[in-house]
Parts: sequence; C-alpha cells; structure tokens
Amino acid sequence: MEIIFALITISLCVAVLFLLAFVWAVRSNQYDDTYTPAVRMLFDDPQEEKPAP
Amino acid sequence: MNTTAAPTRTATACAHCGDDCPDEPIRLSAKPGLSFCCQGCKAVYELLDANNLCQYYAFGEERPGQKIKPVELPGRFDYLDADSVQAQLLSFRSPELARLTLHLPQMHCASCIYLLEHLYQLDAGVTEARVNFLRKEISLGYRPAETSLKAVVTLLASLGYEPQITLAELGAQPHRGSRRLYYQLGLAGFCFGNVMLLAFPDYLSFTDELAHEFGRFFGYLSLLLALPVLLYAAQGFYRSAWAGLRQRYINLDFPISLGLTSLFAVSSYEVLTQHGPGYFDSFTGLVFFMLIGQWVQQRTYDALRFDRDFTSYFPVAVTLLTADGEKSVSVKELRVGQRIRVRNQEVIPADAMLMRGSGQIDYSFVTGESVPVAKVAGEVVYAGGRQVGEAVELEVVREVSQGYLTQLWNNPAFHKAEKQTLETYANKVGRYFVAATLLIAAGAILYWYPRDEQMMWRAFTSVLVIACPCALSLATPFALGSALTVFGRHRFFLKNAAVAETLGRATTIVFDKTGTLTDVRRSAVEYCGPVLTEREQQAVAAVVAQSTHPLSLRLLQELPASTLSVTDFVEVPGQGLRGVVGGVLVKVGSAAFVGADADLVTAETSAAPAQGLNLGQSIEQSAGEPETNATAADTTDNLQSRVYLSLAGDLHGCYFFRNVYRQELGPVLADLGRRYRLAVLSGDNDSEQDRLRELFGPEAELRFRQTPQQKLDYVAALKARGETVVMVGDGLNDAGALQQADAGIALTDTLTNFSPACDAILDAGSFGRLGSFLRFTQDCLQVVLATFVLSFVYNGLGLGLAVQGRFTPIVSAILMPISSLSVMVFATLLVRYAAYRRQL
Repeated sequence: MEIIFALITISLCVAVLFLLAFVWAVRSNQYDDTYTPAVRMLFDDPQEEKPAP
Repeated sequence: MNTTAAPTRTATACAHCGDDCPDEPIRLSAKPGLSFCCQGCKAVYELLDANNLCQYYAFGEERPGQKIKPVELPGRFDYLDADSVQAQLLSFRSPELARLTLHLPQMHCASCIYLLEHLYQLDAGVTEARVNFLRKEISLGYRPAETSLKAVVTLLASLGYEPQITLAELGAQPHRGSRRLYYQLGLAGFCFGNVMLLAFPDYLSFTDELAHEFGRFFGYLSLLLALPVLLYAAQGFYRSAWAGLRQRYINLDFPISLGLTSLFAVSSYEVLTQHGPGYFDSFTGLVFFMLIGQWVQQRTYDALRFDRDFTSYFPVAVTLLTADGEKSVSVKELRVGQRIRVRNQEVIPADAMLMRGSGQIDYSFVTGESVPVAKVAGEVVYAGGRQVGEAVELEVVREVSQGYLTQLWNNPAFHKAEKQTLETYANKVGRYFVAATLLIAAGAILYWYPRDEQMMWRAFTSVLVIACPCALSLATPFALGSALTVFGRHRFFLKNAAVAETLGRATTIVFDKTGTLTDVRRSAVEYCGPVLTEREQQAVAAVVAQSTHPLSLRLLQELPASTLSVTDFVEVPGQGLRGVVGGVLVKVGSAAFVGADADLVTAETSAAPAQGLNLGQSIEQSAGEPETNATAADTTDNLQSRVYLSLAGDLHGCYFFRNVYRQELGPVLADLGRRYRLAVLSGDNDSEQDRLRELFGPEAELRFRQTPQQKLDYVAALKARGETVVMVGDGLNDAGALQQADAGIALTDTLTNFSPACDAILDAGSFGRLGSFLRFTQDCLQVVLATFVLSFVYNGLGLGLAVQGRFTPIVSAILMPISSLSVMVFATLLVRYAAYRRQL
C-alpha cells in the first residue's frame, strides 16, 4: 500500500498544475472581459464575395 | 389656440445610422441603392467601403452607425499634441510604440467591435486595437513615427466614436477589476476539493483500515492544504472584521473570523496530537462557499460609473488666448482673469464672463433642462454648460475649484469614506450571534466541567466551530445578488447589494424637478396666434429645417413637410432664424429678434434682470418667461420656452414649448405617496406649485428656488431627523443631494452619458416601475430575514449536537455543505419568486 503515498503526491502535483493554469488564465486577462472574445471570433478576414450555396 | 398636428412622414432610413433621411436623401453615385441622412454618414460609409470594411454593416444591428454630428472644428483635439497631456494619457511610450486606453461610450454592438479592432486598416500607424466591450474601452497601440495621438483620436471621432477624455480619466490606467477574488476562489476551490478527497476515508466505516494506516499522512497533507486558505483566501474576512473592530463595531465578519480561527486551531490540534482527522474539509469548504457569496454579490456594471464627479465631465484642456495667440492649457492651470475660447460643443470649464460672441449654453448635464440658454456679452456663464453654436470668448472669474457648481465638492459629504459601519441586517444579526455563541460556549463549559473535562473542551470548541455563521453570511449576498440581476434586467443599475437593502428601508423620497419629473425629450408645442394657413406653415417649416437648434428640430416635427426653397437664410445664434420663402420674409426666434410688439414683450424684458441671480433658477427657466396677457391662463408655468414668428415683418404668433411631466408620473406618485413621505426640490420658481401639489398630494413638501447647496442641506436635515432618504435626481446640481442621501438614484435618458456620483442609475424608460422596484427591495429584505431563519435552524441543530459533544467531523462535513447550498438555493428562488409576483 506504500504506493498510495506516491500516487497521492503525484495527483496533488497534477492538481497544482491545474491551479497554476487557472492563475495563468486570470493573469492573462481572461476573466477581465468575458464578452468581447466571443464576438471577436465571428469576424472573418476580408474576403471576396462568397459564391451562392 | 391651435395645436398643429404632427404630420406623418414616410422617410427612408439612413444606410449608416438608421435615422430618417431627408426627403431628398444623399446618395452615393457608386451605389444608388443606399441613401444617407447627412454628409457625415456618407463620408464614413465611403471610408469603410474604400478600405474593404463593409462587413461592419453585416453584424448585429442592421444599421449600426453613429449619427455623425457636425462638431468637427479645427483645433478641437489640438491639446492632444501637448507633451504634458500625452504623458498623462499614454500608459507606455517609446519612440517606436505608444499605448493607451480610451473610453468610447458610443460602442453598442458587435459591429462596433469589428470596426474598432480593424482600425489598423484605416490608419497604418495603428499597430493594435483591442476592445473591451463591457467596459466600453479600447486599448490602442500606435507607432508615433507614423501617426499621432491627435490623428488617431480624430479618426475615431470622425467614425462617430469620439473618446471621452476628461480630467478624471487623465492618468487613469486601464483599470482591472479586482483579481484577488478570482485567485482566492481558485485557491480555496483547489484546496477544498483535495482536502475533501483526503478526508473521504474518515467518512466511511469500511475504510477504517485505510484511515488507520494513512490517517497521519492525510492529516498533515490536509493541514498543509488548509494553510494557504487561512493565510490567503480567508484574508478578506479577517480584514473586514478587524476594520469593524477598530471602529468599535462588530460586523458579521467578526463571528466568521472567530469561527474560522477556532475551526483551524481545533483541527490543527487534533491532527498534530493525532486525536483525529480535524475539520479541514469543513474549514476549506466554508471559505470556498463564502467566497462564492462574495463573488455573486460583486456583480458590477463595467460600463457604468457610479463615482463620477465634475472632473469626469470637464475637459482636459482649454484654449487660452494669450498675446502670442492661442495656446492649449490644462484646465487646472486656469487662473482668474485669463481669456479662453470655447468652441461649439465644448464644455465651459470655469465660471466666466462672456466677452465676445453669443452664447447658447446647454445646461442639460447640470439641470436636466435640454433647451439651451441664450447669453450675451457681459453675462456670467457658469461652469458645466456646453456651448452650442459659434465659438465664444470668455474671461475666467473664478478658478475651476471655486466655481458655483464645483464648490459643492468641497462639502464633507463628498469626503466621507465608504460607509464602513453600514447597519445592515446581517451585521446587526451578527452581533447578537456573537453574544449568543459566547453564552452557549460558556454554558457548555459550566455544564461539562464537573462531569467530564475532556468533554468540556470538546463541547466548547465544537460550539465555537459550529458558530461560524457561514449560512447566515451567504443569505444576504445571494438574495440581494439575484435582486441586482432582476433590477439590471429592467435597466435599474445598483452600485452594490447594500444599496438594495437601503432602498428597502427608505422612508422619504426626494425628487428633483427639471429633467427628473419632467420629460426633456417630450415637450408639448402649442401655437398661439392667428391660425396659420398650410402654405404659411410650410414656409416656417422650410426655414426651421435649415437649423440644428433643438427648438428648431422640435418645431419641425410639428409642422407639415415642406419642399419650399429658402433664400437669404441667416441664423443668428441665440436670437433666431431669418429666411425668405416665396418672397415672404420669415423670422423665427426671440421676441426682440422678431420684433414682437410691446405688450407681448414687456413680460419678457421685465423677467430678464431676474436671470443670473440664481444659477438654478436662471438655468431652469429658459428663454421664455412668466405670463403675457395674450396667453390663456392655463399656461402659467415656467416649463416653457417660446419662439416668436413673424411673416413679412408682422408679428404673427408664438410657439410655446412646454416641458411636460413624465407620463408615468401620476401613477408612480400615487403609489409612492401611500407608502413614503415625498418631497420636491426644484431650482425653479414656484409657478408650478399648484400642479405639483396636485400630483404629490397635500403632505408632500415642495421647495422651490433651491441652490445645489440647499438641496444638499435639506437632505442632510431629513437624515438628521432619522429618515432614510432616497434622492432621485439627474444633473450635476443634484450631485450634492445624491451624495448626501442614503441612496441617490440618478435618472438618465442615455445610460452611457454622464450621470453624477450616485448609488444607482435608473434608465428614464423604467421610471414607471420605480414603485415596483421599491416594493421589490422590501420583499428582498423579507427574503433575507427568512433565509436567516433557515440558517438559524442549521446553526441550532449544530449547536444542539455541539453542546452534547456529539459534533464530529463527519457531522460537520454533512451539515456544512447542506446548509450552505440550501441557503443559496432558497434565497435565490425566493427572490425570483418575489420578482415574478411584482412582475419584474
């Protein structure tokens, strides 16, 4: 059962990685504006008239 | 008396802004299918078309453009070239790159985001443009070598997105919302989840062996995980409790801090002495849930600002006239005796004497009155007005901070710190809670001491642990947080949840008159004089169609459409219009301009000296004045301006523009009058007294000729009598009273426009619901109380177990999340139900 010590330590490390990912997300302004990015992704690059479907 | 009927018109919508086009729309030669209302809109369309940005018209709203107002004047943005201004505006600056954030209140749809983020296609010097739509901000980067700040701002203004660059915004960095709460939430959630997993073996009987084998390891690990929660995530509660204590005041955070501390201490003791697994899962869970409560409560309206003072409205720089010519200087550097030039659409920054030019001062931000006031050379013009029309020269008579209006901000009401000792229900209950907890804990000691010493400690610590009023602290945030959402849906925006509670306890409601009770957008036009023929009406319409003065625009709506051509058109700012239509000279304007005969004019001239004595009065009473014997008795009100008309040199008649009370006013006041004391503070004279008396009922207090300072004092006096005062106002002249009141509600027609510092912003369209809103806040308080009862049940249950010494970690682990979650759900659902019943 000693393996439990190792497993729990590893799983905690993985969890800490997720926590760090969350911190990174907050730091990189992802929680500052929760509206604009959703609209921004709809913008197409300038292009010619689309052919009719 | 003849009221001209509004003609029906069929107009095509402008392809850019969606406004009605004139009868002969402006067309684009390349695309004859599109029509435009003005040259400005057409120019923007052409610019976008040339740069392949016509996708702008494909998103969101059908015609997203901003109506281009003809305010472009050379020199308008010259101050942006000044080094001192740039130093304050730019957040980063090097020869290769400059960065800044601008506030664009006109932003309103997806198309705006598209256009603004493609700014680099219009100006190659722009390197990046990122929009934050909720804040209505744009972060710009540009290469100073290729373009200038002035060029970028001018480009934005020409597209219809003129940035709001004001004194207050100077030097303001792109403000980030507090991220601390996100970090705290993330950390607490992480620790809670992991501690709960580690505590799992304790919950189940068949894992006894496991618990035995790894109990110590799991315990230490839990302690390790709980430590950052105590030190970082729970910081806010300790700070708040400490701040309360320093003011000799016990708020709800005090028992919370007490509970959290004892929870942590007891658990650490148990783990370190290997007595048991501790309550670390409960501890981290409590903090996590309470942080969620804070997060829910902290719903903010990013685009709205509740803390604006006059500096958010005053310009950054002003054109100073010196011996060497014009110079842009900061408003703060203005000194008495200096000469300044104020152009069309610019704000007058300091009280000043008009030296040259004719002033048309729009005081709508100050008083709510939308019709500009005419001023001639020699008169004193008060700060805060916006000049409409030609550029004028002024001599400063008082420094900015000493102005008639700005002096208000020296009042202590504006300097008091955020009300820390707010007497909310939660804090009041919290205090009793502490007392009750300590009593019960002492009782437990007394009971167990002669019987079982070990049990005594157990019971004592258990009581302190269960006493953490977690559920209690969640009741208010969740109830009022969902109330804020309901209000937001009806365009009533509260600064924070505490405002909802204050509104629910209001006893007196004080109203401003002009702009608050009256509807500035809906003035009634009445014509007095010999009936005009259709042809004459058309002639007048043709003349007023040439002008952009608000009264002209309003008059035009009343008159039949006209295709007559006007020759020799002259607009004398502040006076009137003159033009020849079909050989007949048509003059529209003030009595003196038109040449109205003596008996009609007497009242006019006799009223004139009274103006200027009192700012509130002189501003609120616009051009036209009291009674003329020619008019019927029922027009004895000052909510009117008048425009005289002469045809072929003879005075023909007179148009009255009367501000009317808001349509919903009657029902709203009837509703409120039954439940609250009402009062009106008007800067105007008392000619409206009878009508207001009728609307407000016999008990209401009506005060007239109130200066901004008097309004503030009146509210302060009410508060001193123990009333909870809600002030409803709209202009800068109400700012003092709004600040002084327990809850100040600013009424606004355009949400993104300036509104003075206040606790809540109400869209004028929702004014009719004011009664329901206030009833709803009372419902919410009852919901909070009901939720308190529910959480007391849980606390009582826990306490019952605790004094018997049967409060084990597993009981805690079950009771804690159940109580928290049920309180959250209960509060939210009840508020939703109350909103449904109030039809909100």
